[in-house]
This record gives sequence, C-alpha cells and structure tokens, in this order.
Amino acid sequence: MIRKYIALLRMKYVEMLAYRLATIVWMTGAIVQPLITMAVWMNIDPSQSDAFLFYFMAVIFVERMTSAWDVWELDREIREGTFSNYILRPLHPIHWAVAENIVYKVLFLVILAPVWAVAALFVPALRFDMTGGQTLLFLMALLLGAALRFLLSYICGLLGFWITKVTAVYGVLEVISLFLSGRIAPLSLLPPVLQQWSIFLPFRYMIGFPIDIITKAANSHDMLQGFAIASIWIVVFVIALRWIWKAGLKKNQAVGG
Amino acid sequence: MRRYVRIFREFFRACFVEELEYRSEFLGNLISSFFGIGIAVLTVNIFFYQTDQLGGWTYADVLVLLGVFNTLRGMIDFALRPNMPRLLEHVRRGTLDYILTKPVDSMFYVSFRHLVFWRLIDVLLGIGVIGYGLIKKHYIPSLVDVIVFIVTIAASFVLIYSLWMLLMTTSFWVIRIDDLSFIFDSFFETARFPVGMYRGWVRIVLTYVLPAAVITNMPALSLLGKWNMATALIAALLALVFLWLARRFWRFALRFYTSASS
Repeated sequence: MIRKYIALLRMKYVEMLAYRLATIVWMTGAIVQPLITMAVWMNIDPSQSDAFLFYFMAVIFVERMTSAWDVWELDREIREGTFSNYILRPLHPIHWAVAENIVYKVLFLVILAPVWAVAALFVPALRFDMTGGQTLLFLMALLLGAALRFLLSYICGLLGFWITKVTAVYGVLEVISLFLSGRIAPLSLLPPVLQQWSIFLPFRYMIGFPIDIITKAANSHDMLQGFAIASIWIVVFVIALRWIWKAGLKKNQAVGG
Repeated sequence: MRRYVRIFREFFRACFVEELEYRSEFLGNLISSFFGIGIAVLTVNIFFYQTDQLGGWTYADVLVLLGVFNTLRGMIDFALRPNMPRLLEHVRRGTLDYILTKPVDSMFYVSFRHLVFWRLIDVLLGIGVIGYGLIKKHYIPSLVDVIVFIVTIAASFVLIYSLWMLLMTTSFWVIRIDDLSFIFDSFFETARFPVGMYRGWVRIVLTYVLPAAVITNMPALSLLGKWNMATALIAALLALVFLWLARRFWRFALRFYTSASS
C-alpha cells in the first residue's frame, strides 16, 4: 500500500507541476470574500481590529488547507464516462483523490506558512505563541477538518451516479457552511441558535474549530467536545461513503467514450 | 438607431427560444436565484445582530444597497457576462470574421448577441429587496429620486461595460485563454457594502481608482433621497467618456485583427 501511495504521490506531483500557473492563480482564489467580511467586522467593532485581522487571515489559511474540489472532478468524470477508467483499476479510485489532496495541500503549506511568518514580522497582529501541545492539537484539528471536507465533497461527487446536478447540491452545502463554519463571522458572534447548531453539525470542524484552538477561544472542555463530535462525523461520513459507493457501482452506466 | 433596437429584440427572441429548449432548468435557476438573495439578506442580518449601523448606514439602507447590488449584478449576468468571454474565443479561433462580414456594427454584435434571459429574475428580486428596504425605512422616493437613481445605475452599467470591453479588446494583441472575469468578480464583490465601511487607503482606492463601491452606493443613495446632482452628473459624464474610449479602442484594435487560419 505504501509503495502504491508513493507512486501515486509522485504522479500527482508531476501533474501539478504541469499546471503551475493555474495552481498559483487558484491558490490565491478565495481571499476577497474573507477580506471584505473582515472589513465589515472591523467597522462594527474597531477596538477588536487586531483580533479580526488575525481571525480572518487564519480563515484564509485554514480554508485553503482544508479546501475540497473532488465534487467537481467526480461530477465531470462520471458525466463524461471517464470515471470507468478508475473503476477498472485494482485500487479504489478514492486513493487517487487522496494522493492529489496530499500533494496540493503540502504545496499550500510550504508556500503559505513562510508567507505568514514573513507577514508576522511586519504586522504584530499576526503573531501568536503556542506551546508544542497546542500546535499538535491545531494540526490535528486541521487534519480532521481537511478529512471532513474531503469526505463530504467525495460523497456529493458520488451522488453523480444518480443525479446530474451534484455541484448545485454541493453549492447549497457550501453556502450553509459559510455561516456555520465561521467564515462569515467568528462563531461567538453568531446568534445563539446558530451557535448551538454549529456545535452539532460538521461544518464548524472544517474551519472554525482549528482557528478556535489557535486563538485560544476554545478551552479544554470545548476541545474535547470538538474532537469527539468531529470524529463521530468522520465515522458517519466513512460509513455513508462506503454505502453510496456500493450502491453507486450497481447503478453506474458508463457513458461511452 | 431604430434598426439596432429591432436587432436587439431579435437577439432577445433568439436567446429566449434557445432558453425554452432547456425548460426543466428554469425551476433550478429560479430556486438558486431565490436562495442567493435569501443568503445575502441573512448575511446582512448576522452583521446587524451585532451592530445597528455599518459605515453610517442603517439596516434598511443596507438592504436598499443590497437590492441595488443584486439588480446591477442581474443586469451584468444578463447581458455582459455571456458575451465578454466569447470575444476571446472569436479572436483566437478567427470566427470574428463571420461577425465582421455581417451588415451590423461589430462591437454591438459581440456585446449583445448572447443574453441569459433567466438572469432577469435577479433584477426583479433586487428590485423587490429595494422595495422591502424602502418600506422598512418608511421612505417613499420622489420622482426626482427615481430619475437620479435610473441615471446613476445606468451610468454604473455603462461604466462596467466599457471597462470590461477595454480589458477584453486587449485580446487582439495578447492571446489569452482564461477570461479574467474572476478579477472583475473580486472587485464587484466589494460593491456589496457601503464604501464608508472601508478604511484608509482601501477606501480611497475603492472610491477613486476602482470605483467598485461607488457604482452601487450612488444609485442606492439616490433612492434614499441623499443624492447630489454634481456627483450624479460626473458619474454620467465619466460613463460616457469611458464608453467613447472603449469604442475608439475597439475601432483601433480591429485594424490589427489578422484572423486565424482554420
């Protein structure tokens, strides 16, 4: 399995290099919306400007690190019939997607972390101090977030076996997550009802939860609860994914090509 | 002029017929439009859960602004977005030949041939939100308010069209595949909120350099009766100047068009 993964990773790495420019453009992708939202919050509460600056920079960083694009890939591949190529191979197609995610996210990390470090030299608001344990917790939360978003995106993509507009379905989920993941506002500023919902739904653990750890907004009880709920969602998603995969293969009728 | 109105009506009809071929998509589009505006209103509500003013604008004012934003975006998605990226294709593939040989102004043709009819729903929804905001504010715009509003929103539309056209016309020299519309989207997104909300140099840039915020703020202020004749006239004048520039640049660029062999 490890050897297979090494081969896959190398293949995806070469693929990524072929699309260097597109990768860079795409990496800068979703920064305008968080910046505008940041301006709104700074205007609402100027005394907290530094905290908002840190929060929304962290949103941009975490959002990139956990972003998932598999639903668009799967949608296209299933619709055009090229997905059959993967089904025929002796390795589950999800491994290709996992390898691709690892390659791109390592690249994001390698580029974004030094950018943050340099920016922190000039902007004091971006500095933070964390113990080794906290860093570990943050990285774990980040990994959980990336896994949750990836699984959700992949599940939605597999729905393409039944319906043709899976990207629209995923779009609706993305919009819901806009509120409940903490992208529109730090979760503590939301109305209490939405805050409550956000604890039990998976979206918060995709973006807001890792940031809460790094800003120390989450105490040990919150963290324990957060990791527990996120893990439960991972299990739910994995079970759902397996079930949909089996049912989908039965349903699959490849389009010729 | 009459002839062009007739041709535009013909474009409209052709696109409408085309759209009717995909009738089942209509419901989906309708739902997504409603969903979009609903989310936008919800976002504003979340901000106003923590405050009672944004850059000096009250909740009702911001709703009017949101309505103007949606209306303008609907108009752009209806007429501009379907056409502008196509120009790149025409130049790259050499299909601009077919357009140049038609007995109709080429700039008019490439700008308005393709209309996405259902995007007009966004215009209607935007007007609905404007109305809702005005009711919340208990303000009935006078006739002059409405006239200034129409002048300024038209100026905004013409300005956006001219700038986009200028950008796209550069494709005669620089062959590009990506349509760069994401740049436009990013800047237009800043127009969603009062420009007074931004600070320091960002505000200056958004007011004078990339007037993204002004293009929606001014029509909204007009409807709220806070217009200023001088700025409205400047906006209209600026729009006409840029339209003229875009027109001149298009003419100039056509001279460098050498087609592409097929």
